Amino acid sequence: MRKNILVTTLLGLTWVAAVTLGARTLLRYESTPGRVGLVSATWPSASAIQRSAERSTLVVLAHPHCPCTRASMGELAQIMADAQGKVQAYVLFMKPNGAGADWDDTDLRHQAATIPGVTVLTDANGTEAERFGVKTSGHTLLFGRDGVLLFSGGITSSRGHAGGNAGESAILAALAGGQVDYPQTPVFGCSLTRQPEQSGGNICLR
Amino acid sequence: MFTMMNRGSRLETSTDRAEELFQQHRQEIFRHTDKLFAKLMLVQWVFCIVLALVISPRTWDGDSSQVHIHVWAAIFLGGAISLFPAWMTRVWPGAVLTRHVVAVAQMLMSALLIGLTGGRIETHFHVFGSLVILSFYRDWRVLIPATIVVALDHFLRGIYWPYSVYGVLNASPWRSIEHAGWVIFENVFLVFSCFRSIHEMRFIANRTAALEASDQNSRQLFDEAPIGMAVVGLDNEGFKQVNARLTQMIGYSEEELLGRTPLNLTHPDDLEATRRLVKAMLAGTDHCSVEKRYIRKDGEILWATRTACIIRDKAGQPCNFLIMVEDITERKRAEEALRESKRNLEAALEANQLIMDNSQDVICTMDESGRFVTMNEASEALWGFPPQELIGRRYMELVHPEDRRKTEKTAADIVVTGRAVDFVNRYIRKDGDIVNVLWSASWSASKKMMFCVAHDVTERTRIEAALREAKEEADRANRAKSEFLSRMSHELRTPLNAILGFGQLLERQKPTEQQRSRVQHIISAGRHLLNLINEVLDISRIEAGHLQLSVEPVAVAEVIEEALNLMRPLATDRSTELSVDADLATDLHVLADRQRLKQVLLNLLTNAVKYTAIGGRVAVSVSMSESSKMRVVVTDTGAGIAANKLARLFTPFDRLGLEQSGVEGTGLGLALCQRLMHAMGGEIGVSSSLGKGSAFWIELPSADSPLKGLPKNLDPLGFEDPSAAETGKILYIEDNLSNLTLVEQMLAEQPHLELITAMQGGLGLDLARQHLPDLILLDLHLPDIPGHKVLARLRGNKLTRDIPVVIISADATARQIQRLMAAGARSYLTKPIDIAEFFRVIEETMRERKSALECAAA
Repeated sequence: MRKNILVTTLLGLTWVAAVTLGARTLLRYESTPGRVGLVSATWPSASAIQRSAERSTLVVLAHPHCPCTRASMGELAQIMADAQGKVQAYVLFMKPNGAGADWDDTDLRHQAATIPGVTVLTDANGTEAERFGVKTSGHTLLFGRDGVLLFSGGITSSRGHAGGNAGESAILAALAGGQVDYPQTPVFGCSLTRQPEQSGGNICLR
Repeated sequence: MFTMMNRGSRLETSTDRAEELFQQHRQEIFRHTDKLFAKLMLVQWVFCIVLALVISPRTWDGDSSQVHIHVWAAIFLGGAISLFPAWMTRVWPGAVLTRHVVAVAQMLMSALLIGLTGGRIETHFHVFGSLVILSFYRDWRVLIPATIVVALDHFLRGIYWPYSVYGVLNASPWRSIEHAGWVIFENVFLVFSCFRSIHEMRFIANRTAALEASDQNSRQLFDEAPIGMAVVGLDNEGFKQVNARLTQMIGYSEEELLGRTPLNLTHPDDLEATRRLVKAMLAGTDHCSVEKRYIRKDGEILWATRTACIIRDKAGQPCNFLIMVEDITERKRAEEALRESKRNLEAALEANQLIMDNSQDVICTMDESGRFVTMNEASEALWGFPPQELIGRRYMELVHPEDRRKTEKTAADIVVTGRAVDFVNRYIRKDGDIVNVLWSASWSASKKMMFCVAHDVTERTRIEAALREAKEEADRANRAKSEFLSRMSHELRTPLNAILGFGQLLERQKPTEQQRSRVQHIISAGRHLLNLINEVLDISRIEAGHLQLSVEPVAVAEVIEEALNLMRPLATDRSTELSVDADLATDLHVLADRQRLKQVLLNLLTNAVKYTAIGGRVAVSVSMSESSKMRVVVTDTGAGIAANKLARLFTPFDRLGLEQSGVEGTGLGLALCQRLMHAMGGEIGVSSSLGKGSAFWIELPSADSPLKGLPKNLDPLGFEDPSAAETGKILYIEDNLSNLTLVEQMLAEQPHLELITAMQGGLGLDLARQHLPDLILLDLHLPDIPGHKVLARLRGNKLTRDIPVVIISADATARQIQRLMAAGARSYLTKPIDIAEFFRVIEETMRERKSALECAAA
């Protein structure tokens, strides 16, 4: 009996420590944003995408296999619903050179395609992402009718986490013509391009 | 905390039992729910892994990918969350800590799932579902840690993702309260549900305890019932349950009975009836009762009243028989005894009727007033009245007037004492004749009736009267004979005294040879006549029962030696050799009167010498007979006796035709010997062979020597301090040498006492007058003067009248003791002598004597 109590006590302490450590690690991962590139303050002239002159243009750069971006698509759908046609939206799925024809034929792409008012395009080898200065999947850019960047950042509060967030609120505020408190937010998603070798492990972390 | 609900002790009351059942049930729920969560944890763990693999299997970096951290989290974090509580449920099933760990782990699993699904609202239902499943414990307290974990999870998420959790920017600020409200709302209902469940569990426990108590009462009633009870399967399936009383009644143990059927134990004669009853019950009769016989294990028959009823199941279908067996063997025996008694009574009544019908005696009953109630036909023969003429009449009417008073008195006595027998009175017959009637009557107080048997004893009475008259005549003749013998003895002895006396004087006056011869003839004839008179008187005394004997241990060798000494002169005259066993032991004793034994031996020796030719041989031997009696045999070498004459040998005056043989004899000697031997408890017999001689034997019971067991040192038994004891002189008058020797040895150790002895009464009187002893010890049977006469003479002499006399005799009859004490004896000691008593009496007597002498001197 005494032996069982001792073993139980030791295992219980170990259990608390393991769960705490695991939860902390998971939280740290989910709350760590992706890399942010040098985003152009105006619509890049080299871009092949046609910007709307009558309304704002929303551009989302996404990796077709990134699970974290599934939450961004959900938030995008919410934004499009709330914007009520005030914005022209594009979702550009990166496709590296040499990839197969169906490499970007993913459920994420299908999900984006089902969002009303959204145009889904393929970003061959991340060319457009590079033009817009974007490096992380789920990075959303909002340009005004005049081509000026109104918002840049993620539209999820953490990695793959659905729900209300500052990015979504900022976009809707900009579309409504109001003041944008947070024109920039962190982006939680996979890297669109292979990032330089780091001493760290997870590629989703900087 | 680790306390396990294990209350093994047997509880007394129903309340305690209900609490025990409740705790057992609760513990069982805890254990079962622990097992449920153990499985659920593992399932959730696997589900998390699958979910991670489906939702976020890999994370991408451009065109390259790696396993997503959610997969690792599902594997390791999910495992960490699940395994410990699963282990706890195995090691500490039902423990309080286990279910609280499970509650925490379950909510952590909810948090993990929410994290893996990116906070999808649907996964929040896992929280509510988990709380519901936790309520399976029916312990509201487990909801507390679960709720705390949920709250902490939201708190932490609020720190990291305040926008999504609390909706700071675009969601309601009350959303967290709403979330908490839903959890609390659910918790309230779950807690209520837990309390409700506990209440129901307690209700069930109370009912179960009550049912158990009821079952226990039923079981106790079954087990301890004073009658045999058993549960038996239908269709002769056998005993299923039996109580202790039935096992006692049948004699089989419970295990043995459970392997048998009631029919196995039923008496063969009752089998068919038992089967019919079983069929009747199965056909619809609810219960039945029957008296039947069982065969016990020991083979004895057990009579029992067997009552059976059907036990039905919940559906009302018969499932078993309940049989109740009551032992009525004793009752059956009593009934059988009653029947037997009734049969006997009937037989007795029939026999009585036959007796009454055939009896020559009148058998009748009378009521309180003395009227005949019943009467048999014998009344007509006895009284001349047929029964019908007597019934209703008073019996007193028939009683002879002279006998009515005593008849009334006897009748009154019968009512008091209950019965009377041998009452004789006279009745007057119808024809006027008088009959003597012998009555046996008894009175029944309960029935107020007198039962009588009357027997005609008229003839018997006449015969009895004649017999009485004849007896009186015989008694008169006997008295006349005794008087005649007494007178004859006196009248014959008186002239004989003169004849013998003067004959002897003549013999001393130097007669001539012719005169001497004539005088010797006179003396011889006179002595012969004196012997004849003595023997006739002895036989007469013996036959009249007046012979007095002093039976005591007598040394056989001494008596034989004395008899031989007396016989030697005669044997010498006839040149007859007298011999005795050379190795005759001197300590052989027989129970006999010493004088009479010597008389018998002298008679036998005299006969042997007389009837043996001159120069013959007579021998005396002693041996033990087959009946352990001492046998003394006198053998001669005479002519012997013919076998056909032996039977007449002990007949008085029958000399077997030797009257003319020239040998003197009266024909009374052997007859007297036989009567003396019988009087002493002995036997006498003879074996003889013509021409070879005869062997006469006597047998007497052997006895221990009076000296046997006499202690060497008598002081401890006698005087405590011989030096302090009174000195004195004691005279002992005793003819038995053994007794003399005994007393001599007893007093030899007392130097202060001087003993003088005398073997004849006359000598004893002389010694008493001459020595004036301090004490006289006196035997009653002396050869010359009887002891009581010696006592009388001592008391009659002024010299010896004050000397204390202590009687020592084998005659211990109270009458004899009383007579001698009244005659002046100081004490009376009986043989065999109690030595302690002997010395006590001597000491007391000597002390009294000294005191008396001192007083007289003063």
